[in-house]
Amino acid sequence: MRKKECIAMLLAGGQGSRLGPLTRKNAKPAVAFGGKYRIIDFSLSNCINSNIDTVGVLTQYKPLILNSYLGNGVAWDLDNPEGGLHILPPYATESGGRWYNGTADAIYRNMDFIERYDPEYVLVLSGDHLYKMDYNEMLTFHKKNNAALTVSVIQVPMEDASRFGVMSVDGDMRITKFEEKPPKPESNLASMGIYIFSWPVLRNALIADHKDPDSSKDFGKNIIPNLLNAGERLFAYTFSGYWKDVGTIDSYYEAQMSLLDEHPDFNIFESKMRIFSNANMLPPHYIGSNAVVERSLVCNGCEVLGTAKNSIISYDAHIGIGAVVEDAILLPGARVEAGARVFRAIVGENATIEAGACFCGGTEKERIAVLGDHGRYASV
Amino acid sequence: MTTMVGLVSANYNRNTFDGLTEDRPVASLPFGGRYRLVDFPLSNMVNSGIITVGLITPYLYRSLMDHVGVGKEWALSRKVGGMFILPGSIYGLKSMNSKFLLRDLIQNRPFLERAGADVIAVSGVDKVMNIDYREVAKAHEASGADITLIYKEGMAPADPGEQYLELTDTGRVTAIRSTPDEHKRCFISSFLINSDLLLSFTKWYEALGYMDVMDIFAENLDKMVVCGYKYDGFVGVVNDLSSYMDANMRLLDDEVRSELFRRDRPITTKVQDSPPTKYLGASSVRHSLVASGCIIEGRVEDSIIFRGVNIKKGAVVKNCVIMQNSVIGENARLENVVCDKYVNVKNGVQTSGSPEKPIAVEKRREI
Repeated sequence: MRKKECIAMLLAGGQGSRLGPLTRKNAKPAVAFGGKYRIIDFSLSNCINSNIDTVGVLTQYKPLILNSYLGNGVAWDLDNPEGGLHILPPYATESGGRWYNGTADAIYRNMDFIERYDPEYVLVLSGDHLYKMDYNEMLTFHKKNNAALTVSVIQVPMEDASRFGVMSVDGDMRITKFEEKPPKPESNLASMGIYIFSWPVLRNALIADHKDPDSSKDFGKNIIPNLLNAGERLFAYTFSGYWKDVGTIDSYYEAQMSLLDEHPDFNIFESKMRIFSNANMLPPHYIGSNAVVERSLVCNGCEVLGTAKNSIISYDAHIGIGAVVEDAILLPGARVEAGARVFRAIVGENATIEAGACFCGGTEKERIAVLGDHGRYASV
Repeated sequence: MTTMVGLVSANYNRNTFDGLTEDRPVASLPFGGRYRLVDFPLSNMVNSGIITVGLITPYLYRSLMDHVGVGKEWALSRKVGGMFILPGSIYGLKSMNSKFLLRDLIQNRPFLERAGADVIAVSGVDKVMNIDYREVAKAHEASGADITLIYKEGMAPADPGEQYLELTDTGRVTAIRSTPDEHKRCFISSFLINSDLLLSFTKWYEALGYMDVMDIFAENLDKMVVCGYKYDGFVGVVNDLSSYMDANMRLLDDEVRSELFRRDRPITTKVQDSPPTKYLGASSVRHSLVASGCIIEGRVEDSIIFRGVNIKKGAVVKNCVIMQNSVIGENARLENVVCDKYVNVKNGVQTSGSPEKPIAVEKRREI
């Protein structure tokens, strides 16, 4: 293989249990988002928009939809014979098979993959955030500092900082302290879970971590603190754009609803840093003679015969005659049958709200109703 | 099992579209919100299990090549078979209105020879339909025909370029005429022909390359077995601006949509990765087909809206076809208008045609 300066390793094997019913049959990175995307699209699009053409995707939990969605990476122009997208599931060896046991273990067990490209740097990503980022700028920062590891950070309100991995830095942005979810944070620089390692440093750290029986094989808990303790040059790269975790039902819902703003912070219409997706080939959507569509996103293949207000109507979804969908997200292929009502709710892929049923969450600040993929909901 | 290769005869142009075909061939006329006419024959062939397709290019083929590329979207970028770009001949086109020029076949004889199939499925680009050539091939084989011409009964578009079949009770074609009989069996620009026979025609008629193969068939009806195949599905006819408009509007019919955009035989097109369409607070849309990537703030009724169109506040678009990336300004009002790509309708502008005589606005025009 041709040598690569930087390759990406995308951690996509987690269950994402905080997304509840949405990840019962599907891995979090493959959960539909914003009408026509899946969560992993944002990281993959960032890669190709940053000219990173070699991406290993580490999969483990319920990979069927994820694997078929990724294919050979062609949808992101990652079908590159000199690199491209590779799905890296756990595998068996002569000493038996076992699952990936932590984020660091997943990378450790694919060191052969990384070494095929003999990279200078390895970008480690998690596929569950909504953001547009040029990783090259971060790489330039990493090189300029002659860093062993650069962690991308974002400033969060001090009161939220205890939900994140928090970095304390000196005047040169060199990391002096790292705390995972501290009760009393000393800084408001939150780790975005985006790391650039110099490969020799990462390689040694992974081997050492693998030998440590007490390690939980995690980047945040083990690899980064160990490097810091060893006196390696760790730097924090401040990202100032839009970045949002979409790993909980609330954040997943809110992030999509904010796409409906007239001038959203995260703009899917921008022509620079385009977001690519592996879209199905569906005809344009049809809006019926008595339909009402207001402040909504609607995708190909949809049929809106009833009302859609303040909602995300993903591709291939159907809203029957007289049905009302409001403040809701219909995932791909969801059907809201005639006369049904959906309010403050997420309706899973290919799920059905039967005719006349009311699938409604509570008012503001109360729970959002969620129906899992392929679910059926009827009036009680 | 009969082996088939496909041949899309896209070397066809007409100037009956009020500027829409000024710098593009009929094959790459945008249609139905996100398609081009060539998508239909290409998809039909691929959906019928045909993996080798020759595309005879028209004179102005930039937009067509831009669209089909190497056939990746149709899974025709492949090692075995695939898409073959066959250069079409370059003169006498607009005046002749020929859909299946013999010269184009003579010029590309090696493709037909090497493809080595029993039967060639040939299609023009002026009819919009979703047809299964496997069914046609079965009928072709069962009847022992040399040629099977596909027709739609009870259809007689008012256009001098159409051809009609006269059939015996057993389905043998006895005449190909420019006027219909009482059955109105309109030839829908597609046929199956035994490969050997087509190759023989390219040799026997070598000196008469200006002929249309349909004329050769008509001349030889008594010497070969030519059968008709009755196609019962939806056929959209695209002969001129008003039939183009009409064929688009037919897509607003639920039954037509479900026939044309079948899930088991999807119509494929070039993917553009546009975002979803965004409806803002004041929008009001009824009985319309809307592609992705649009931003809609105004009123849209009975219309076909292509990708990336922006319809601003207070604008009213009624019975229109608005192509890719056009902008309809605030309080503008359009009725019975076809806007080509990148048209910019300024704020407050009003223009309207009639359903019978729609107005076409040329590409990149400002009004």
